[in-house]
Amino acid sequence: MMNIRTLTTNIPRKRVSIIGSGPSGFYTAYHLLKKSKIPLHVTIWEKLPVPFGLSRYGVAPDHPEVKNCEETFTQCAEENIQNNGLHKFEFIGGITIGEQISLQKLISEQDAVILSYGSSGEHKLNIPGESDTKGVFTSREFVSWYNGHPDYALNPKFMDFDWSHVSKVGIIGNGNVALDISRVLLSNKIDEIWKKTDINPVAISLLQKAPISNVKIIGRRDFIHSKFTNKELRELWALERYGIRGSISSEFFDVSKFSSINDRALKRRIEICSEYMKDFSERTKASYKKYEPLELTLDGSTRTWELDYLKAPIKIDKDANGNIKQLTVRNQLLTDENKLVDDTSKSDIVYGLDLLITSIGYAGKPMKEFSSLNIKFNKDRVITKDNRVLSTSDVAFPRLYATGWIQSGSQGVIVSTMMNAFNVADTVIADLSKNDSTTNSQPIDVTNIPHTTWKDWEEINKRELDKGKQSGKPREKFLTSDSMYKHN
Amino acid sequence: HGHLKKPNPGEELKITFILKDGAQKTFEVAEGETMLDIAQGHNLDMEGACGGSCACSTCHVIVDPDYYDALPEPTDEENDMLDLAYGLTETSRLGCQIKMSKDIDGIRVALPAMTRNVSASDFS
Ligand SMILES: Cc1cc2nc3c(=O)[nH]c(=O)nc-3n(C[C@H](O)[C@H](O)[C@H](O)COP(=O)(O)OP(=O)(O)OC[C@H]3O[C@@H](n4cnc5c(N)ncnc54)[C@H](O)[C@@H]3O)c2cc1C
Ligand code: FES
Repeated sequence: MMNIRTLTTNIPRKRVSIIGSGPSGFYTAYHLLKKSKIPLHVTIWEKLPVPFGLSRYGVAPDHPEVKNCEETFTQCAEENIQNNGLHKFEFIGGITIGEQISLQKLISEQDAVILSYGSSGEHKLNIPGESDTKGVFTSREFVSWYNGHPDYALNPKFMDFDWSHVSKVGIIGNGNVALDISRVLLSNKIDEIWKKTDINPVAISLLQKAPISNVKIIGRRDFIHSKFTNKELRELWALERYGIRGSISSEFFDVSKFSSINDRALKRRIEICSEYMKDFSERTKASYKKYEPLELTLDGSTRTWELDYLKAPIKIDKDANGNIKQLTVRNQLLTDENKLVDDTSKSDIVYGLDLLITSIGYAGKPMKEFSSLNIKFNKDRVITKDNRVLSTSDVAFPRLYATGWIQSGSQGVIVSTMMNAFNVADTVIADLSKNDSTTNSQPIDVTNIPHTTWKDWEEINKRELDKGKQSGKPREKFLTSDSMYKHN
Repeated sequence: HGHLKKPNPGEELKITFILKDGAQKTFEVAEGETMLDIAQGHNLDMEGACGGSCACSTCHVIVDPDYYDALPEPTDEENDMLDLAYGLTETSRLGCQIKMSKDIDGIRVALPAMTRNVSASDFS
């Protein structure tokens, strides 16, 4: 057997560029570096100075376990960052592909290019008042704010809003992001939860001013079609131990109507709701009896949330100061064919609100160059066949792949994102093995563009961890790109 | 072998993994080790994205039906994560939640593959 170490320092490696350092980009890099027998130079490009995408800026601060995937990514980077193994790994932060460096350049100068840039946009309701009313935020803005994303952490839209009057909250949409946001809002005053997280300290101190009394989680469809998963739902109900109580009107939740349901997750969703809506003493299973609920919160106030269904938002009205006053919703009806129509037998309903968050989904956006390159993009995602990106005439592009939310649409959790990334990496390896063994790809010159390297990130990371330690938190994030660069 | 404890002589417990390509690997391990730790300690392709805290389902395993009933029942939290596991079966579990014990000595588990479904014949 040949000794890899002496052999590989100067061998030509095939060059793979990955665009985006979220879970999909990093899991692709990880799988490539673990499985490829061909020597590779893998570069991850990231528009922010720091890595990990929605693991860092999406996943809720009170879900640190979910962020543990970052440990796998870090280990993978560390093992391949030196130039002394079979492969070489490189991270280049602070560079947006399509702006400082064109996608075209990467495609022509690399052996493989993988689009893993996630969802850079979000869906809108497109109703009157949505974009010009104070106190109306999208889930992406709100989540980015509390997670300390440099574009939102100190954004005046949040800083200048008067949180001290926020009592009644509406959230449109009922996916996991909507439940994350509900949980953050409802538990804002519970230090036990937030003190030991890396939540943006500026955001939590403003949120703590809000005397929240009710959060309404509004869905267009019915209970059965709720989008959240059972884990998130259970967590919301479990806030009863702090005196935060949930409910679903019997109009939308009638167990007798659910008897024919066989789907495993759905059956358990029904069980969770019916158990938590029972009196504590009447509950049977141990997992619903762990903590006796409180009737009121510790400061003696009433705090409730409810799952509301079959409502379509129509318009938002503001008061004289431009702050949100109310939301009008129209009753919906599900036909036998499962189609949603206006229920004309009922009149519209007006909800008085002090804060409204629209949480109807992140959305993938095409890169500017897609039209000139004829890359097929449809309904929030890059269109692929067998992981290879298709042209507008349905031919697979050579050397171009897509993975993660930009490939699958903005849905799915880390596990699905990971499976998808592994699959894409396997396709890349298969294609690279087919080509002849030489490579004519080139290093991309970034000397004249300000950027961060993995070493810079290690320094930023260390400072964040140190700052966190001083206040008993896992981490305290830098809140601006500037401060990230200065601390290098 | 990573953080795996060496079993005391005479107290070795056996576990067999059926890999994605159908190959089988049997290990002798100590009581109390989780399936995730065993698999990772032996460099098998099992991810533990959440570090074994029952929050990701990347450690999904399919248990040989002959052994399934010998396992302690999954908690509600484990079931919540199993909802999201790829290729869920009647005998699916999370590798990070199952500890080796005398009750399951000799257990056989398959790692789910994206490219093919695990069936009863994988265990025969
Ligand atoms: C609010 C929220 C909470 C979530 N919570 C959970 C959870 O608890 N558990 C769970 O399993 N999953 C959760 N998810 C899902 C999980 O975050 C996704 O599955 C995963 O992040 C998708 O990975 P991705 O790499 O495709 O996209 P992203 O994570 O979005 O990564 C894309 C990266 O590309 C970068 N980028 C964008 N454009 C460019 C460009 N032009 N050039 C260079 N870089 C670029 C972005 O800055 C970003 O870093 C959550 C998602 C959201 C939105
Ligand atoms: S490792 Fe995440 S659930 Fe087992």
